[in-house]
Amino acid sequence: MPIKMWLHDMNPSMKFIVVIVSMLTLAWFFNPWTPFLFFIGIILFQAVFSQLNWRLWGLLMIPIAFTAIGYLWTTIVFAADTSGEILFSWNGWTVTDQQWETSLSLAFRVFAFSAMSFMFALTTDPVKFVMSLMQQLRLSPKLAYGVMVGYQFLPVVKEEFTQIRHSHRLRGIGAEKQKWKRIVGIKRLVIPLLSSAVRRAERAAFAMEARGFTGEKREVFYEPISLNIRDGLLSVLLLILLIGCCLAGWRLS
Amino acid sequence: MLKSWKLKEVVLLSVFAVVFAVVYLLFVHVGNIWAGVIGPIAYEWMFGIWFIVSIISAYIIRKPGAALLSETMAAIIEVMIGNAVGPRLILSGIVQGLGAEAAFAATGYKRYDWWVLCLAGIGSAVFSFAYGFFVSGYAALDPSLLAWMFTLRVISGAVIAGLGGKYLSDGLLASGALRGYAISQDSIKHRQVKGEILE
Amino acid sequence: MSNSIIDFNEVSFRFPEDLTPIFTGVSFSIDAGERIVLFGPSGCGKSTLLHLMNRLYPSNCDGILDGSITLFHKDAVSFKPGEINQKIATVFQDPESQFCMPTVEQEMAFTLENFGHISRLEMESRITNTLSTLGLTHLRKATIQTLSGGMKQRVATACALLMEPEVLLLDEPLAHLDPLTARQYVEWLNELQVSKSMTIVVVEHRLDLWGTFFTRAIHVSGSFLTEDNPVSSAVAFPKRSSSMEEEVIFEAHQISISINNQRLLQNISMQLHRGEIAVLAGPNGCGKSTFLKTICGIYNKSEGSINCVGHLPGYVPQSPEHLFVTQRVSDEIRFSNHSSNEQISDIMERLLLDEIQDAHPFSVSHGQKRRVVIGAMLADQRPVLLLDEPTSGQDESALLELFYLLDLQAKEGISILIVTHDMSFAKAIADTIYLMKDGELTGRFDTYHFWNQTALLSDHQLVAPVGDYSYAY
Repeated sequence: MPIKMWLHDMNPSMKFIVVIVSMLTLAWFFNPWTPFLFFIGIILFQAVFSQLNWRLWGLLMIPIAFTAIGYLWTTIVFAADTSGEILFSWNGWTVTDQQWETSLSLAFRVFAFSAMSFMFALTTDPVKFVMSLMQQLRLSPKLAYGVMVGYQFLPVVKEEFTQIRHSHRLRGIGAEKQKWKRIVGIKRLVIPLLSSAVRRAERAAFAMEARGFTGEKREVFYEPISLNIRDGLLSVLLLILLIGCCLAGWRLS
Repeated sequence: MLKSWKLKEVVLLSVFAVVFAVVYLLFVHVGNIWAGVIGPIAYEWMFGIWFIVSIISAYIIRKPGAALLSETMAAIIEVMIGNAVGPRLILSGIVQGLGAEAAFAATGYKRYDWWVLCLAGIGSAVFSFAYGFFVSGYAALDPSLLAWMFTLRVISGAVIAGLGGKYLSDGLLASGALRGYAISQDSIKHRQVKGEILE
Repeated sequence: MSNSIIDFNEVSFRFPEDLTPIFTGVSFSIDAGERIVLFGPSGCGKSTLLHLMNRLYPSNCDGILDGSITLFHKDAVSFKPGEINQKIATVFQDPESQFCMPTVEQEMAFTLENFGHISRLEMESRITNTLSTLGLTHLRKATIQTLSGGMKQRVATACALLMEPEVLLLDEPLAHLDPLTARQYVEWLNELQVSKSMTIVVVEHRLDLWGTFFTRAIHVSGSFLTEDNPVSSAVAFPKRSSSMEEEVIFEAHQISISINNQRLLQNISMQLHRGEIAVLAGPNGCGKSTFLKTICGIYNKSEGSINCVGHLPGYVPQSPEHLFVTQRVSDEIRFSNHSSNEQISDIMERLLLDEIQDAHPFSVSHGQKRRVVIGAMLADQRPVLLLDEPTSGQDESALLELFYLLDLQAKEGISILIVTHDMSFAKAIADTIYLMKDGELTGRFDTYHFWNQTALLSDHQLVAPVGDYSYAY
């Protein structure tokens, strides 16, 4: 298998666990270097082990950058810890080096988390992910296939949503500009969607049961999701990157 | 826990999650990237929208685990659809679901009055805030700002998720769609009891 | 020992929410190799019977069952969950809600995995064999969502046949298919039954599309009478006299529309006279619904012009509940506030909405929902009604009700344009037929000169109405 396919082929549950572990580890660090280095590391990791559409990746990062800016200024203005040397002051506001570092750290944390999310999302097939949760992480088949049915309904529900909005347009509603009015108006949209969801859920469940589905654990899988040496190797590499960033961040600040 | 669940109930949780995912995707979220610039407070007042699935599910199905399972399944579906928050959404889904579940468990899964639903919304808010405190680094923020954020989120949980969830479910119940689910069986019993008293 | 494989003996069934049973004292038996139809109007309990045969009931609805059901000479209660489904397989009516996996192959594998202990090699060969016997090999890797309704029903049938069941149950399998697709499915099923010689039990409210398929009919409503070799008869609509007047009240001129850079409609012109009932027909996806939505103003970015006396046309979607925005039928009629109180009460009376005026619009019957929508449109002072697929999935009495309803509106001076695949209905009700294909109108016909043009009909994927469709001719 070409090295550029490795991340795409990685066991989804393994990938999931590594992402969660990295995230929970990064949450302990408030220096700017650890999340920053990890962010760069994840980008390089993807460049080596996956076929990435960088244009799409860039587009996805734009709203993340906005969120990061939001975190940056919020943490500067409302810092809990205002000790340290004053870096600059303006109109009575002061920003200390401690404040600045923490703020940068939280902003970079947003980038690091998102890079991980995109690494997962852009290299993982959603169906294989759920099948893997069932096969490797013992998610109950009842839940796994329940989720699968819902996922299959996604285009149907979207279509129905559009149909309802079209019909509502005929009755002169649905063009409210104010957000609160839209939120109150949700009921008119949601009730018909939910009521056909109830019907569909029952039909789908009956169709599954009529084909012998009991929700018991399964013994044989037609498409087993593999778990092999390469998954271990990628996980170890990611964990080395994580530990490296933690140590480097600790040394650098 | 899953043994007592009918498949149609599990599938219902999942399809509800899809409905709210679609509504959120196509309706609430449109053109909202600027909200990010405002920072973590921007979404606080409508945080309750994220908890509403678990409240509606628990209110309709009335079985232990409804809140937790629905929120978890909703999170898995969001990840499948490609939500930018990614895999960690599943973790926050479980945490929020546990928050609501705690409220229902505290009443022994016997009461589904409006205040219990509000408590469940508050439960989700509290749990999710604790989780955000750790993961999003709220620890670095000024306690007075945190107090504001926390208050907003609790109110949003109680009002949007608790009362809003009841409002939507009651609307759905009135439409007659919930025949065969615990909520409509309970409401029949309720009416029968009332009827006997009147007679 | 008798040859029967399904025996109902004095069976009664009650849903826990209901005070009275849906049926009582039902007895019948089905022999191996029979082709049975359980026949009756909507809501008579025939689907419940089917669910008792494949053991979805009583456990799934906590229903209360009396009497005995014997399947393959064993008490139905003695089967473990999922066990009976290897022998009795089911195909349901809604092609959209029968699948949980993305591709045909994965869906079939899901079915095989359910039964456990089947090795991957065996699964592989069963899938290959089933698909090739059913002539569906080319669909193996297809994404189910992208298939047409008719193909989805075949895939559902393929999944049902994987376990080589002895009985195949079908729950209104044609309800969501257009007549041509439905007929093709019936022919396909016929060949299948001949080659596999299994028992087929169908729940159905319309027999006209099944031809001579069945060897026996059990009439579920009433006394469970049995009829051998039932003949399918078309719905008998009464003769209608046209109420079309001279005055043109609606005119669309050279309508074109593009959505997302795709040309959906091309230069469509149409006139409707006061009191006219017109039918618009054509293959799936040819732009019929788009046209309706354009001329009633849902899509507003079109080229061309629309002239209409008074307000724009009103639209009745296939699911009437999509238009509901209030909690009460009477509020629904009043919603837009375009009519006086006298006009409103007149509409309510004419459409028989008085008795349900306080009901929740979602909780009334399908026919009533449609009347509510029509009432709302009339109260909006809309002189033209557009109906999108009102005939799909309707039983005989519902079709007759629709016939009378539309005829009455036309006599009141309303113009009506109906999109439908049902040519028997069209023949009974229409003054004019419009045909459409690939976003263009391909012809306007008055009904007398239309029905013998078989080539034209099949070119638009339509089936000519058969049999004695009108008792007053």
